[in-house]
Amino acid sequence: MQRIDRQPAWVLHERPYRETSVLLEVLTRDHGRVGLVARGVRSAKPRFARGTVKPLQALELSWLGRGELGNLAGADPVGVPVPLAGDGLLCALYLNELLARLLARNDPHPDVFARYASVLYELAAAGDALGQAWALRRFERDLLAGLGYALPLDEDEQGQVLEPAAQYAIDPERGALRWSGRGPAPLLVSGAALRALADDAAPAPEVLRELKRALRALLRHHLGGRDLAAWSMRPPASGSIND
Amino acid sequence: MSASSPLLLELIEALRCLPGVGAKSAQRMAFHLLERDREGARRLAGRLVDAVERIGHCRRCRTFSETEMCATCAGSGRDATLLCVVETPVDQLAVEQATGYRGLYFVLLGRLSPLDGLGPAELGLDQLAQRLREGEVRELIIATNPTVEGEATAHYLAQLARAANVRASRIAHGVPIGGELEFVDRGTLAHAFGSRQSV
Ligand SMILES: [Zn+2]
Repeated sequence: MQRIDRQPAWVLHERPYRETSVLLEVLTRDHGRVGLVARGVRSAKPRFARGTVKPLQALELSWLGRGELGNLAGADPVGVPVPLAGDGLLCALYLNELLARLLARNDPHPDVFARYASVLYELAAAGDALGQAWALRRFERDLLAGLGYALPLDEDEQGQVLEPAAQYAIDPERGALRWSGRGPAPLLVSGAALRALADDAAPAPEVLRELKRALRALLRHHLGGRDLAAWSMRPPASGSIND
Repeated sequence: MSASSPLLLELIEALRCLPGVGAKSAQRMAFHLLERDREGARRLAGRLVDAVERIGHCRRCRTFSETEMCATCAGSGRDATLLCVVETPVDQLAVEQATGYRGLYFVLLGRLSPLDGLGPAELGLDQLAQRLREGEVRELIIATNPTVEGEATAHYLAQLARAANVRASRIAHGVPIGGELEFVDRGTLAHAFGSRQSV
Protein backbone atom coordinates (compact mmCIF):
# COMPACT_ATOMS: atom_id res chain seq x y z
CA MET A 1 0.00 0.00 0.00
CA GLN A 2 1.36 3.35 -1.05
CA ARG A 3 0.26 6.68 0.36
CA ILE A 4 0.53 9.75 -1.86
CA ASP A 5 0.30 13.11 -0.13
CA ARG A 6 -0.95 16.39 -1.52
CA GLN A 7 -0.24 15.64 -5.15
CA PRO A 8 -1.08 18.45 -7.63
CA ALA A 9 -3.95 17.15 -9.75
CA TRP A 10 -6.87 17.89 -12.04
CA VAL A 11 -10.02 15.79 -12.34
CA LEU A 12 -10.56 14.76 -15.97
CA HIS A 13 -13.80 12.89 -15.40
CA GLU A 14 -16.11 11.72 -12.66
CA ARG A 15 -18.81 9.12 -12.73
CA PRO A 16 -21.10 7.79 -10.01
CA TYR A 17 -19.90 4.57 -8.44
CA ARG A 18 -21.96 2.34 -6.16
CA GLU A 19 -24.52 4.14 -4.04
CA THR A 20 -22.60 7.09 -2.62
CA SER A 21 -19.19 7.07 -4.27
CA VAL A 22 -17.61 8.60 -7.33
CA LEU A 23 -15.02 7.15 -9.68
CA LEU A 24 -12.48 9.80 -10.66
CA GLU A 25 -10.13 9.89 -13.61
CA VAL A 26 -7.39 12.25 -12.51
CA LEU A 27 -4.34 13.84 -14.12
CA THR A 28 -1.55 14.21 -11.59
CA ARG A 29 1.86 15.83 -11.86
CA ASP A 30 4.08 13.02 -10.64
CA HIS A 31 1.94 9.92 -11.16
CA GLY A 32 0.33 10.66 -14.51
CA ARG A 33 -3.24 9.59 -15.10
CA VAL A 34 -4.69 7.84 -12.08
CA GLY A 35 -8.05 6.26 -11.26
CA LEU A 36 -9.37 7.07 -7.78
CA VAL A 37 -12.46 6.16 -5.81
CA ALA A 38 -13.94 8.97 -3.74
CA ARG A 39 -16.02 7.12 -1.19
CA GLY A 40 -19.12 8.66 0.24
CA VAL A 41 -18.97 11.97 -1.66
CA ARG A 42 -22.59 11.58 -2.69
CA SER A 43 -23.80 10.81 0.83
CA ALA A 44 -25.52 13.24 3.18
CA LYS A 45 -22.29 13.85 5.10
CA PRO A 46 -19.50 13.66 2.56
CA ARG A 47 -15.86 13.42 3.63
CA PHE A 48 -14.92 15.82 0.85
CA ALA A 49 -16.89 18.91 -0.12
CA ARG A 50 -18.90 17.85 -3.14
CA GLY A 51 -18.30 21.02 -5.06
CA THR A 52 -14.53 20.66 -4.64
CA VAL A 53 -13.53 17.43 -6.35
CA LYS A 54 -14.55 18.28 -9.87
CA PRO A 55 -13.02 19.11 -13.25
CA LEU A 56 -11.47 22.54 -13.95
CA GLN A 57 -10.41 23.05 -10.34
CA ALA A 58 -6.72 22.84 -9.43
CA LEU A 59 -6.46 20.36 -6.57
CA GLU A 60 -4.07 18.73 -4.18
CA LEU A 61 -5.11 15.13 -3.72
CA SER A 62 -3.97 12.49 -1.27
CA TRP A 63 -4.73 8.84 -1.80
CA LEU A 64 -3.91 5.31 -0.79
CA GLY A 65 -2.90 3.27 -3.77
CA ARG A 66 -3.04 -0.44 -4.38
CA GLY A 67 -3.60 -1.92 -7.80
CA GLU A 68 -5.62 -0.14 -10.47
CA LEU A 69 -7.74 2.15 -8.29
CA GLY A 70 -6.57 4.35 -5.44
CA ASN A 71 -8.71 5.44 -2.53
CA LEU A 72 -9.07 9.19 -2.22
CA ALA A 73 -7.99 10.23 1.28
CA GLY A 74 -7.92 14.01 1.01
CA ALA A 75 -8.77 16.79 -1.42
CA ASP A 76 -7.86 20.46 -1.18
CA PRO A 77 -8.70 23.04 -3.81
CA VAL A 78 -5.90 25.34 -4.92
CA GLY A 79 -7.42 28.72 -5.73
CA VAL A 80 -10.73 29.03 -7.52
CA PRO A 81 -12.04 27.01 -10.51
CA VAL A 82 -10.85 28.05 -13.98
CA PRO A 83 -13.49 30.55 -15.14
CA LEU A 84 -14.50 28.72 -18.31
CA ALA A 85 -17.91 29.19 -19.88
CA GLY A 86 -19.65 28.60 -23.18
CA ASP A 87 -17.51 27.09 -25.93
CA GLY A 88 -14.58 27.10 -23.51
CA LEU A 89 -16.34 24.38 -21.53
CA LEU A 90 -16.77 22.24 -24.64
CA CYS A 91 -13.06 22.74 -25.41
CA ALA A 92 -12.23 21.59 -21.88
CA LEU A 93 -14.38 18.46 -22.27
CA TYR A 94 -12.44 17.75 -25.45
CA LEU A 95 -9.07 18.17 -23.71
CA ASN A 96 -10.16 15.92 -20.86
CA GLU A 97 -11.28 13.20 -23.26
CA LEU A 98 -8.04 13.55 -25.24
CA LEU A 99 -5.87 13.17 -22.14
CA ALA A 100 -7.92 10.33 -20.69
CA ARG A 101 -7.68 8.43 -23.99
CA LEU A 102 -4.11 9.23 -24.96
CA LEU A 103 -2.23 9.04 -21.66
CA ALA A 104 -1.51 5.64 -20.16
CA ARG A 105 -2.25 5.15 -16.47
CA ASN A 106 0.62 5.78 -14.05
CA ASP A 107 2.88 7.26 -16.72
CA PRO A 108 3.90 10.71 -15.44
CA HIS A 109 4.45 13.66 -17.80
CA PRO A 110 5.00 16.72 -15.58
CA ASP A 111 5.43 18.94 -18.67
CA VAL A 112 2.03 17.86 -20.06
CA PHE A 113 0.53 18.42 -16.60
CA ALA A 114 1.85 22.00 -16.52
CA ARG A 115 0.72 22.63 -20.09
CA TYR A 116 -2.78 21.40 -19.28
CA ALA A 117 -3.15 24.01 -16.55
CA SER A 118 -1.88 26.75 -18.83
CA VAL A 119 -4.14 25.84 -21.76
CA LEU A 120 -7.21 25.96 -19.52
CA TYR A 121 -6.37 29.53 -18.59
CA GLU A 122 -5.60 30.36 -22.22
CA LEU A 123 -9.05 29.07 -23.18
CA ALA A 124 -10.63 31.16 -20.44
CA ALA A 125 -8.78 34.25 -21.68
CA ALA A 126 -9.38 33.64 -25.40
CA GLY A 127 -11.67 36.29 -26.80
CA ASP A 128 -13.23 34.21 -29.56
CA ALA A 129 -13.43 30.84 -31.29
CA LEU A 130 -10.22 31.51 -33.22
CA GLY A 131 -8.31 32.23 -30.04
CA GLN A 132 -9.64 29.01 -28.51
CA ALA A 133 -8.76 27.00 -31.61
CA TRP A 134 -5.22 28.36 -31.57
CA ALA A 135 -4.84 27.52 -27.87
CA LEU A 136 -6.01 23.94 -28.59
CA ARG A 137 -3.60 23.50 -31.53
CA ARG A 138 -0.65 24.70 -29.47
CA PHE A 139 -1.62 22.33 -26.68
CA GLU A 140 -1.92 19.42 -29.10
CA ARG A 141 1.54 20.27 -30.42
CA ASP A 142 3.04 20.25 -26.92
CA LEU A 143 1.13 17.14 -25.86
CA LEU A 144 2.43 15.17 -28.86
CA ALA A 145 5.96 16.43 -28.17
CA GLY A 146 5.61 15.55 -24.49
CA LEU A 147 4.66 11.98 -25.39
CA GLY A 148 7.57 11.65 -27.80
CA TYR A 149 5.53 12.08 -30.97
CA ALA A 150 6.70 15.60 -31.82
CA LEU A 151 5.54 17.03 -35.13
CA PRO A 152 8.25 17.87 -37.63
CA LEU A 153 8.14 21.64 -37.54
CA ASP A 154 11.40 22.91 -39.06
CA GLU A 155 12.47 20.42 -41.67
CA ASP A 156 11.07 17.69 -43.84
CA GLU A 157 12.05 14.06 -43.73
CA GLN A 158 14.98 14.76 -46.07
CA GLY A 159 16.37 17.44 -43.74
CA GLN A 160 15.25 20.28 -46.00
CA VAL A 161 13.88 23.45 -44.41
CA LEU A 162 10.08 23.59 -44.69
CA GLU A 163 8.99 25.94 -47.44
CA PRO A 164 5.90 28.02 -46.66
CA ALA A 165 4.36 27.51 -50.09
CA ALA A 166 5.07 23.77 -50.32
CA GLN A 167 2.56 21.08 -49.30
CA TYR A 168 3.52 18.26 -46.98
CA ALA A 169 2.00 14.96 -45.99
CA ILE A 170 2.55 14.12 -42.32
CA ASP A 171 3.67 10.58 -41.75
CA PRO A 172 3.47 9.70 -38.03
CA GLU A 173 6.66 7.65 -38.24
CA ARG A 174 8.77 9.44 -40.85
CA GLY A 175 7.83 13.10 -40.55
CA ALA A 176 6.85 15.70 -43.16
CA LEU A 177 7.01 14.34 -46.69
CA ARG A 178 7.11 16.96 -49.38
CA TRP A 179 4.19 16.33 -51.72
CA SER A 180 5.19 15.75 -55.31
CA GLY A 181 1.67 15.97 -56.65
CA ARG A 182 1.73 12.41 -57.94
CA GLY A 183 -0.54 9.57 -56.84
CA PRO A 184 -3.66 9.83 -54.68
CA ALA A 185 -3.51 12.99 -52.56
CA PRO A 186 -2.98 12.29 -48.84
CA LEU A 187 -3.96 14.78 -46.14
CA LEU A 188 -1.75 17.76 -46.86
CA VAL A 189 -0.63 20.68 -44.76
CA SER A 190 1.31 23.71 -45.95
CA GLY A 191 4.82 24.54 -44.82
CA ALA A 192 3.42 27.89 -43.71
CA ALA A 193 0.98 26.18 -41.31
CA LEU A 194 3.69 24.01 -39.76
CA ARG A 195 5.98 27.01 -39.38
CA ALA A 196 3.23 29.04 -37.70
CA LEU A 197 3.00 26.26 -35.13
CA ALA A 198 6.81 26.18 -34.77
CA ASP A 199 7.01 29.97 -34.34
CA ASP A 200 3.99 30.14 -32.00
CA ALA A 201 2.58 32.81 -34.32
CA ALA A 202 -1.23 32.82 -34.57
CA PRO A 203 -2.04 32.10 -38.22
CA ALA A 204 -4.98 33.08 -40.42
CA PRO A 205 -8.28 31.19 -39.92
CA GLU A 206 -7.84 28.99 -43.01
CA VAL A 207 -4.34 28.00 -41.87
CA LEU A 208 -5.76 27.16 -38.43
CA ARG A 209 -8.26 24.83 -40.10
CA GLU A 210 -5.41 23.14 -41.99
CA LEU A 211 -3.55 22.61 -38.74
CA LYS A 212 -6.64 21.23 -37.08
CA ARG A 213 -7.09 18.62 -39.78
CA ALA A 214 -3.41 17.66 -39.71
CA LEU A 215 -3.22 17.43 -35.92
CA ARG A 216 -6.45 15.52 -35.73
CA ALA A 217 -5.18 12.96 -38.24
CA LEU A 218 -2.02 12.57 -36.18
CA LEU A 219 -3.93 12.26 -32.90
CA ARG A 220 -6.26 9.71 -34.49
CA HIS A 221 -3.21 7.68 -35.46
CA HIS A 222 -1.90 7.73 -31.89
CA LEU A 223 -5.38 6.91 -30.58
CA GLY A 224 -5.24 3.68 -32.54
CA GLY A 225 -7.35 4.99 -35.42
CA ARG A 226 -10.32 5.93 -33.25
CA ASP A 227 -12.16 9.25 -33.23
CA LEU A 228 -12.85 11.17 -30.04
CA ALA A 229 -16.50 11.65 -29.09
CA ALA A 230 -15.83 15.37 -28.53
CA TRP A 231 -14.99 15.74 -32.23
CA SER A 232 -18.66 15.33 -33.05
CA MET A 233 -19.89 17.78 -30.39
CA ARG A 234 -20.39 20.90 -32.36
CA PRO A 235 -23.01 23.45 -31.34
CA PRO A 236 -24.79 24.98 -34.33
CA ALA A 237 -23.75 28.57 -33.70
CA SER A 238 -20.09 28.09 -32.90
CA GLY A 239 -17.08 26.38 -34.34
CA SER A 240 -14.15 26.49 -31.98
CA ILE A 241 -13.74 22.73 -31.87
CA ASN A 242 -14.68 21.65 -35.33
CA ASP A 243 -13.86 24.52 -37.61
CA MET B 1 -24.96 -20.94 3.54
CA SER B 2 -27.33 -23.65 2.41
CA ALA B 3 -25.91 -25.18 -0.70
CA SER B 4 -29.23 -27.06 -0.61
CA SER B 5 -30.85 -24.15 -2.43
CA PRO B 6 -28.97 -22.72 -5.38
CA LEU B 7 -32.08 -20.62 -6.13
CA LEU B 8 -31.76 -18.86 -2.79
CA LEU B 9 -28.17 -17.94 -3.58
CA GLU B 10 -29.23 -16.71 -6.99
CA LEU B 11 -31.99 -14.57 -5.45
CA ILE B 12 -29.53 -12.99 -3.03
CA GLU B 13 -27.11 -12.28 -5.86
CA ALA B 14 -29.91 -10.80 -8.00
CA LEU B 15 -31.05 -8.44 -5.21
CA ARG B 16 -27.59 -6.95 -5.11
CA CYS B 17 -28.28 -5.09 -8.35
CA LEU B 18 -30.34 -2.63 -6.30
CA PRO B 19 -28.52 0.57 -5.33
CA GLY B 20 -27.13 0.50 -1.81
CA VAL B 21 -27.79 -3.21 -1.34
CA GLY B 22 -24.74 -5.20 -0.31
CA ALA B 23 -24.39 -8.90 0.46
CA LYS B 24 -25.80 -8.56 3.99
CA SER B 25 -28.92 -6.59 3.05
CA ALA B 26 -29.58 -8.83 0.06
CA GLN B 27 -29.50 -11.85 2.33
CA ARG B 28 -31.89 -10.19 4.80
CA MET B 29 -34.30 -9.28 2.01
CA ALA B 30 -34.27 -12.75 0.53
CA PHE B 31 -34.96 -14.43 3.88
CA HIS B 32 -37.67 -11.93 4.71
CA LEU B 33 -39.49 -12.53 1.45
CA LEU B 34 -39.30 -16.32 1.72
CA GLU B 35 -40.07 -16.59 5.43
CA ARG B 36 -42.69 -13.89 5.88
CA ASP B 37 -44.00 -12.41 2.68
CA ARG B 38 -44.24 -14.77 -0.25
CA GLU B 39 -47.31 -12.88 -1.49
CA GLY B 40 -45.36 -9.61 -1.53
CA ALA B 41 -42.53 -11.33 -3.33
CA ARG B 42 -44.91 -12.60 -6.01
CA ARG B 43 -46.35 -9.09 -6.46
CA LEU B 44 -42.87 -7.55 -6.66
CA ALA B 45 -41.76 -10.09 -9.27
CA GLY B 46 -44.83 -9.40 -11.38
CA ARG B 47 -44.48 -5.61 -11.22
CA LEU B 48 -40.79 -5.83 -12.07
CA VAL B 49 -41.49 -7.89 -15.18
CA ASP B 50 -44.38 -5.61 -16.21
CA ALA B 51 -42.34 -2.45 -15.68
CA VAL B 52 -39.33 -3.69 -17.56
CA GLU B 53 -41.43 -4.97 -20.46
CA ARG B 54 -43.89 -2.13 -20.77
CA ILE B 55 -42.19 1.10 -19.73
CA GLY B 56 -40.42 2.71 -22.65
CA HIS B 57 -39.73 6.30 -23.56
CA CYS B 58 -42.13 8.99 -24.73
CA ARG B 59 -41.60 9.68 -28.41
CA ARG B 60 -41.90 13.42 -27.82
CA CYS B 61 -40.07 14.15 -24.56
CA ARG B 62 -38.12 10.89 -23.94
CA THR B 63 -39.31 10.50 -20.35
CA PHE B 64 -40.52 7.09 -19.10
CA SER B 65 -43.88 6.20 -20.59
CA GLU B 66 -46.05 3.14 -21.18
CA THR B 67 -47.65 4.76 -24.18
CA GLU B 68 -46.03 6.14 -27.29
CA MET B 69 -46.68 9.63 -25.96
CA CYS B 70 -46.61 10.31 -22.20
CA ALA B 71 -49.61 11.83 -20.41
CA THR B 72 -47.86 15.20 -20.02
CA CYS B 73 -47.13 15.53 -23.74
CA ALA B 74 -50.48 14.12 -24.82
CA GLY B 75 -52.59 16.19 -22.39
CA SER B 76 -54.06 19.54 -23.35
CA GLY B 77 -53.63 21.27 -20.00
CA ARG B 78 -49.99 22.27 -20.42
CA ASP B 79 -48.47 25.40 -21.91
CA ALA B 80 -46.74 24.16 -25.07
CA THR B 81 -44.84 27.43 -25.54
CA LEU B 82 -42.59 26.57 -22.58
CA LEU B 83 -40.13 23.70 -22.84
CA CYS B 84 -37.97 22.70 -19.88
CA VAL B 85 -34.89 20.55 -20.56
CA VAL B 86 -33.71 18.25 -17.75
CA GLU B 87 -31.08 15.54 -17.59
CA THR B 88 -33.17 12.70 -16.15
CA PRO B 89 -36.76 11.65 -15.41
CA VAL B 90 -35.95 12.08 -11.70
CA ASP B 91 -34.99 15.72 -12.35
CA GLN B 92 -38.26 16.17 -14.24
CA LEU B 93 -40.17 14.82 -11.24
CA ALA B 94 -38.26 17.17 -8.93
CA VAL B 95 -39.17 20.23 -11.02
CA GLU B 96 -42.74 19.03 -11.33
CA GLN B 97 -43.13 18.58 -7.57
CA ALA B 98 -41.26 21.69 -6.42
CA THR B 99 -42.51 24.31 -8.85
CA GLY B 100 -45.80 25.38 -10.33
CA TYR B 101 -44.39 24.82 -13.81
CA ARG B 102 -47.14 24.20 -16.35
CA GLY B 103 -45.09 23.84 -19.52
CA LEU B 104 -43.70 20.76 -21.25
CA TYR B 105 -40.42 18.87 -20.79
CA PHE B 106 -37.61 17.39 -22.79
CA VAL B 107 -35.54 14.73 -21.02
CA LEU B 108 -31.97 14.26 -22.24
CA LEU B 109 -31.36 10.98 -20.40
CA GLY B 110 -27.83 12.20 -19.68
CA ARG B 111 -25.59 15.18 -20.40
CA LEU B 112 -22.82 15.83 -22.90
CA SER B 113 -20.00 13.60 -21.73
CA PRO B 114 -17.47 12.49 -24.32
CA LEU B 115 -15.82 10.05 -21.92
CA ASP B 116 -19.16 8.34 -21.29
CA GLY B 117 -19.85 8.21 -25.02
CA LEU B 118 -22.71 10.71 -24.68
CA GLY B 119 -22.86 13.21 -27.50
CA PRO B 120 -25.63 15.28 -29.12
CA ALA B 121 -27.05 12.24 -30.93
CA GLU B 122 -27.36 10.16 -27.76
CA LEU B 123 -29.19 13.03 -26.01
CA GLY B 124 -31.74 13.37 -28.79
CA LEU B 125 -30.61 16.89 -29.65
CA ASP B 126 -31.47 16.51 -33.34
CA GLN B 127 -35.02 15.81 -32.26
CA LEU B 128 -34.96 18.80 -29.91
CA ALA B 129 -33.60 21.10 -32.63
CA GLN B 130 -36.38 19.94 -34.95
CA ARG B 131 -38.96 20.68 -32.28
CA LEU B 132 -37.58 24.18 -31.71
CA ARG B 133 -37.77 24.83 -35.44
CA GLU B 134 -41.45 23.85 -35.48
CA GLY B 135 -42.12 27.24 -33.90
CA GLU B 136 -44.49 26.43 -31.05
CA VAL B 137 -41.88 26.75 -28.30
CA ARG B 138 -41.27 30.37 -27.18
CA GLU B 139 -38.91 29.72 -24.28
CA LEU B 140 -36.42 26.94 -23.65
CA ILE B 141 -35.82 26.58 -19.91
CA ILE B 142 -32.47 24.88 -19.38
CA ALA B 143 -32.46 22.93 -16.13
CA THR B 144 -29.36 20.76 -16.51
CA ASN B 145 -27.21 20.29 -13.40
CA PRO B 146 -24.60 22.91 -12.44
CA THR B 147 -21.72 20.49 -13.07
CA VAL B 148 -19.03 21.05 -15.71
CA GLU B 149 -20.80 18.65 -18.08
CA GLY B 150 -24.22 20.06 -17.20
CA GLU B 151 -23.00 23.60 -17.93
CA ALA B 152 -21.41 22.52 -21.22
CA THR B 153 -24.73 20.92 -22.14
CA ALA B 154 -26.58 24.09 -21.14
CA HIS B 155 -24.33 26.10 -23.44
CA TYR B 156 -24.98 23.69 -26.31
CA LEU B 157 -28.73 23.89 -25.70
CA ALA B 158 -28.61 27.70 -25.64
CA GLN B 159 -26.89 27.61 -29.05
CA LEU B 160 -29.60 25.29 -30.39
CA ALA B 161 -32.24 27.72 -29.16
CA ARG B 162 -30.42 30.68 -30.66
CA ALA B 163 -30.16 28.94 -34.03
CA ALA B 164 -33.94 28.42 -33.93
CA ASN B 165 -34.67 31.94 -32.68
CA VAL B 166 -36.11 30.69 -29.41
CA ARG B 167 -35.46 32.52 -26.15
CA ALA B 168 -33.36 30.42 -23.76
CA SER B 169 -33.17 30.75 -19.98
CA ARG B 170 -31.02 28.97 -17.41
CA ILE B 171 -32.28 28.09 -13.95
CA ALA B 172 -30.41 30.01 -11.24
CA HIS B 173 -28.15 28.22 -8.79
CA GLY B 174 -26.50 29.38 -5.64
CA VAL B 175 -26.88 29.62 -1.90
CA PRO B 176 -29.59 27.28 -0.59
CA ILE B 177 -32.58 28.95 1.05
CA GLY B 178 -32.07 28.94 4.80
CA GLY B 179 -28.34 28.37 4.28
CA GLU B 180 -25.53 30.44 5.72
CA LEU B 181 -22.72 31.73 3.55
CA GLU B 182 -20.12 30.42 5.97
CA PHE B 183 -21.19 26.83 5.29
CA VAL B 184 -21.71 27.02 1.55
CA ASP B 185 -18.92 25.35 -0.44
CA ARG B 186 -16.60 27.63 -2.38
CA GLY B 187 -17.71 26.63 -5.86
CA THR B 188 -21.35 27.31 -5.08
CA LEU B 189 -20.59 30.60 -3.40
CA ALA B 190 -18.33 31.70 -6.27
CA HIS B 191 -21.11 30.90 -8.73
CA ALA B 192 -23.79 32.63 -6.67
CA PHE B 193 -21.56 35.67 -6.34
CA GLY B 194 -20.77 35.72 -10.04
CA SER B 195 -24.42 35.55 -11.06
CA ARG B 196 -25.67 38.15 -8.55
CA GLN B 197 -28.68 40.24 -9.59
CA SER B 198 -29.62 43.88 -9.20
CA VAL B 199 -32.07 44.55 -6.38
ZN1 LIG C 1 -43.68 13.06 -23.20
